[in-house]
Amino acid sequence: MIERVLEQEEVITQVLAADNKINRHLVPTWHIDVLKSVDKALSPLLEFTDALSVQNTKKIRNRRLNRCFRASRESLKMEPLADVPLLPGEERVIDKDIIYMCPFSGALKGKVFITNYRLFFKSADMDPAVTLNVPLGAINRVEKMGGASSRGENSYGLDITCKDVRNLRFALKQEGHSRRDIFEILFRYAFPLSHGLPLFAFLSQEKFEENGWNSYSPMQEFRRQGLPNDKWRITFLNQSYELCDTYPTILMVPYKATEEDLRKVATFRSRCRIPVLSWIHPDNLAAITRCSQPLVGMSGKRNKDDERYLDIIRETNGTTSKLTIFDARPNVNAVANKATGGGYEGDDAYQNAELVFLDIHNIHVMRESLKKLKDIVYPNVEESHWLSSLESTHWLEHIKLVLSGAIQVADKISSGNSVVVHCSDGWDRTAQLTSLAMLMLDSYYRTLRGFQVLLEKEWISFGHKFASRIGHGDKNHADADRSPIFVQFIDCVWQMTKQFPTAFEFNEHLLVTVLDHLYSCRYGTFLYNCESVRDANEVRTKTISLWSLINSDQTSYINPFYAAESSRVLYPVASMRHLELWVTYYIRWNPRIRQQQQSPVEQRYKELLALRDQYLKKLEELQLSDSTPHLANSTAPSSASPTQRVTHLHTPF
Amino acid sequence: MQLANHSSCKMFSVKPLKPTFKSYLPPLQTDLKKSPQPTIKKLEAKLLPGEIVVNEVNFVRKCISADSSKDDLWGKLICTNFKISFITHDALPLQKFQYRSRLLGEHDVPLACVEQVVTVNDAKGKQKVLGSNQKLKFNPTELIVYCKDFRIVRFRFDEAGPESAKKVCLAIAHYCQPADPQLLFGFEYVGKRYCGSSGDRVNGVDRGGGLQTPLFDRPSEWDREIKRTGASEWRVCSINEGYAISPSLPEYFVVPVSLADQDLKQYSCFFTGQRVPLWCWNHSNGSALVRMASVRDPAQQRKLDQRICNGITKSHPKRSEALKSDLDRTLPNIQDIQGAFVRLRQICVIEPFEESEEKWLSSIEGSRWLEYVRAFLKHSAEVVYMLEGKRASVILQEDEGRDLTCVVSSLVQLMLDPHFRSLTGFQSLVQKEWVMAGHRFMDRCNHLKKNDREECPLFLLFLDCVWQLMNQYPAAFEFTETYLTVLSDSMWIPVFSTFLFNCPQQHAEHSREFAQSKSIPLGEDKALRFPPVWDWSQQFTLKDQALFNSPLYVGKGATCVQNGAVKTFRRSKKNYSSTLRGMPSSLRNGMLGDLDSLPRRNSLVLRLRPDLSQLREAAESPSERFFRAWFSRPADLQGLLLPQLLPSHLRLWRLYFLRWVPEAQIARGGPITAFHKLSLLADEIETLQRQLRQYKGGTPAPSPASTPGTTPQPEQRRMYFKASAPHDPPSPPEYLTSSFPFSPVGNLCRRSILGTPLSKFLSGAKIWLSTETLANETL
Repeated sequence: MIERVLEQEEVITQVLAADNKINRHLVPTWHIDVLKSVDKALSPLLEFTDALSVQNTKKIRNRRLNRCFRASRESLKMEPLADVPLLPGEERVIDKDIIYMCPFSGALKGKVFITNYRLFFKSADMDPAVTLNVPLGAINRVEKMGGASSRGENSYGLDITCKDVRNLRFALKQEGHSRRDIFEILFRYAFPLSHGLPLFAFLSQEKFEENGWNSYSPMQEFRRQGLPNDKWRITFLNQSYELCDTYPTILMVPYKATEEDLRKVATFRSRCRIPVLSWIHPDNLAAITRCSQPLVGMSGKRNKDDERYLDIIRETNGTTSKLTIFDARPNVNAVANKATGGGYEGDDAYQNAELVFLDIHNIHVMRESLKKLKDIVYPNVEESHWLSSLESTHWLEHIKLVLSGAIQVADKISSGNSVVVHCSDGWDRTAQLTSLAMLMLDSYYRTLRGFQVLLEKEWISFGHKFASRIGHGDKNHADADRSPIFVQFIDCVWQMTKQFPTAFEFNEHLLVTVLDHLYSCRYGTFLYNCESVRDANEVRTKTISLWSLINSDQTSYINPFYAAESSRVLYPVASMRHLELWVTYYIRWNPRIRQQQQSPVEQRYKELLALRDQYLKKLEELQLSDSTPHLANSTAPSSASPTQRVTHLHTPF
Repeated sequence: MQLANHSSCKMFSVKPLKPTFKSYLPPLQTDLKKSPQPTIKKLEAKLLPGEIVVNEVNFVRKCISADSSKDDLWGKLICTNFKISFITHDALPLQKFQYRSRLLGEHDVPLACVEQVVTVNDAKGKQKVLGSNQKLKFNPTELIVYCKDFRIVRFRFDEAGPESAKKVCLAIAHYCQPADPQLLFGFEYVGKRYCGSSGDRVNGVDRGGGLQTPLFDRPSEWDREIKRTGASEWRVCSINEGYAISPSLPEYFVVPVSLADQDLKQYSCFFTGQRVPLWCWNHSNGSALVRMASVRDPAQQRKLDQRICNGITKSHPKRSEALKSDLDRTLPNIQDIQGAFVRLRQICVIEPFEESEEKWLSSIEGSRWLEYVRAFLKHSAEVVYMLEGKRASVILQEDEGRDLTCVVSSLVQLMLDPHFRSLTGFQSLVQKEWVMAGHRFMDRCNHLKKNDREECPLFLLFLDCVWQLMNQYPAAFEFTETYLTVLSDSMWIPVFSTFLFNCPQQHAEHSREFAQSKSIPLGEDKALRFPPVWDWSQQFTLKDQALFNSPLYVGKGATCVQNGAVKTFRRSKKNYSSTLRGMPSSLRNGMLGDLDSLPRRNSLVLRLRPDLSQLREAAESPSERFFRAWFSRPADLQGLLLPQLLPSHLRLWRLYFLRWVPEAQIARGGPITAFHKLSLLADEIETLQRQLRQYKGGTPAPSPASTPGTTPQPEQRRMYFKASAPHDPPSPPEYLTSSFPFSPVGNLCRRSILGTPLSKFLSGAKIWLSTETLANETL
């Protein structure tokens, strides 16, 4: 009978997998039904085995069997994990005794819990307990290490590489293939898309006060910028993605360009990503436009429509004598792209434009750079040659190039010159440059809500390929399309917040939270490559937005030092003298570093704010209770009340 | 590892021969009043008492930006016996703020701050480093002054009289190398105070206007320190009164009760410089920190060691044995440190900005400055472990015990005793462990520019270590990084007793001699009394001194909010600050000392060492365990502080090293902007506190200070930035930059750099090519 149950388990797994492929959206309820029936069928057997176990019958104390019961039973309940309550929609899949090979504390015995959302580990005998709480979405790769015959106590286990700059190793008991089930479950749930399972974002039942999907409306954002105006108009040509399937539906284009013009231009731009407006300066009307590379090719093709279109863009503001085209790539890369049909705007063809290469490297260079960085910070910080090791990763140098590129864009715009920004496809470096330049130019994007608009607009709606770059739920960890372009952008933002501690309404905690949920797959915000795919998957109706979480409890994301300055352009210093490694992000797993939720300065400021309010309250109380007796005494020259005195304290610097 | 370019350091190390004549007197008669020039008649040097004009030249241009002369200032260049002064009516362009000193004008450079004088003749293509008493065969068209505080100041003589220009250059080169300590300006300056009216004289004799900082030049101050630290088994010893035993020790110091004067006298001759062991500090657990010179005679060493250790052990309540820490063996020596400093200066200010960008990090590493900062912090933390963790007394031993010991002993006390993290406490620490303990400031600063081999920025290294601690625990210190910077700059103003001498005895001897030779009536004093640098009113107004005060400080008596309740901090081990509460449990991992046992992620062989758990026990030293335990708890800002020593957590002290670099300035940014907001809030809170006190103190207070209706004097307020109105969050003022309160304008003019800084760094994006790059370009 036991054999039959085991057989059944395998069949059920197969059925589950097969069914998931067909009917993705029905999985949760169906899953539960199956497990319920399995549980029901097995419950007499459970009693039976329990009875047998008392008699110490070895044969029947089959661990797999027991686990089969446990898994099926517990997945029905919503028991909290050791410390952390489960999220609504989160379900336990398996628990197991395991050894965590902590790189800092050595081998730690404990228990691992795997749910459809996370891996949770709690050590058994350490005080305080060592815990791990890893969203499965953050897992890049799961591997077995050592074999059943490997020698040594802890040589048989699992090796997990994470996307968030850490690796985890677990050791298991060698006997009884104890690793097989946990490996399979982890593999399946960490890479649900490779197994026909839904991402957790589609299972989550979290509820928030605010619906974050409403935080960005393209029309509203254009209106905020004073658009449309007599030079720029909205086109609905891409309403159902027929012009460009990786662009948003609503586009801002020059008033003078007809729909026919746009179609013609699209034929000459890589993936039909035509130049459209991202941002317009409220006073000088200089515009940031973004696009992909022109399809010049080896033969040096020209396209009159494209040339005319760029000239129309130039004419939209009276002061631009030469339109500046920022090609984010290094010159040689742009040339190399001709071989595959791409290229750049030649001098002859685009007479009223100047082309500037910004020397920012491609996704592969950035990926390798971050990989090198990880090597020197995890698990241990390179001690002996830290700075030269850091230099050899080139990570900060890349940050510098991206920032100085954005500074050049912002500088052109503030001096009244319109610009066009592109790279190869216009969804990686282009997004970095336009969004950073906009962050420098427009203080709205430096507010908590404005920053969300910036991300939604320049990154999400304009088709930064989050799914390809991050590889959500995909087992193919070596995919050459993966690259930390968005991480690099957030790092640039962090560098700016360090240089201007009062200019941003949000704090470091927000940036770290954004990066955590870039991987976690708990929210729909960063899922999929572009709007058309998002629509097809009904992301807005079936998942929750990250901004729901953020906006429902803003206090922890607010920078207390923020001082709103509406018209200020921020020019960070893009120099190695000021750029620094974001240790509170990249080295946050190291226990030698005191982990702080908040910077001590920020924390102290909040304490002082509370103190001030307390004093104000006390003073008010005193004034109230004092008012009568004091009136009697008011012959003394103490008539100036303390509050009045506060307002007198104007000591101009 | 890439080392910094040594050959390019030569600029600084070229030193001329010794000067051959000695005397500032009689003053050369180039008195301004006698030569009135109609066009620039108001350009007069502002002179201090005892200061005289040596030479001057008119129609000089001070260069402001490296690439154009349009912002240059016109004026008069003057060399006095104290400073290089540039007087102009022109206002500085671009500059929105500069910290003003009472002793120095906006463009002045004290002669003691001059590192090197370079004259240039463009037409002839000649350049010469000028030393004292040298000849110059060409008429200079340009003078470049390299300063010890990292400034590079340039003057042009295109319109000036060639002869007078040459004379001024020669005078500057000559007078910045005084042949004798008594030619340092401080002697004239302080001497004049005694000669003046009785009113002036009070100034000179005063210990520094109600100065709270103990100078440790009298037994009572040592006694107070013994009481403060509860060092009951230690006593003040006065065998060195009149410097009878050791010339470099203070007259009064503290020794174990069990060691008799007679014994100490007997031992003294065996120690280098007759420097018997000195008590530094006592832990509340009874362990003591002691500093000691090495024993010269190896034959005596064991015996002496034993006796000294016995004495120290007897003073320990648990009779724990004293541990010895040999600094010479574990820490870099003074030449190493000087070398690191010279390389760092080269990287920070001499090398063209853009060229040094690409290799910036490895150059900084190559300078080894941060490595040394880390070494001192690390060693000090180990000593802290011995005192606190092992509850043992520690003896810091160094050859003379006047250099490395000063750094380590002060850092240990700073980490262990919150008293030293207050402003007064810090000043008393420097006074006790540096000035009185005989750190050779005169030699290490090279005030006489006599022996470059003795020069070493050890005090700056110490200040950098303090800054690192401050950077990690900003609320633990009462003072700011501006204070540390201003303090280090004060080393180059040669009027303060603090930084002028090698030891108290030298101070006493020179000032007695000087007074005698100048027939200065000293009154009741035995010698001229130089003001200590701690008398900050010598240099700055009270308002400006407020820049020293940190708005973050959670000090003794400072109020703080803990879980919503206002509390007053007291010194107590249990009093955790709420600041660092609540570490995520997922991060409470322990740490392992040596982790080489774990193979890198990328290695194909994913095998684990079987004995990792045992390895952990073996690899972690007791001190590491102690540090780990400390880091796993919330930090008590009024208790022990340990530095985070990972190299990734040590930073370059940007305010100090980059404050003059125009390209590195963040306009309206930098940490100061947050500091500004904090100050406003702290000021508002102080105002509220005052008002509350008025209420509590009852109706109309009789004292004039709290006369109702009058606003408090600005002097009473601790913060530099004052709250204008409550609940009004003003944006940071225009003049705030990452260099605040310093300004690079006109203070760093490297030669021959083309292009404006902005355009320079914008076009400076470097391309590095790799085959991979080309192959992988996304299409």
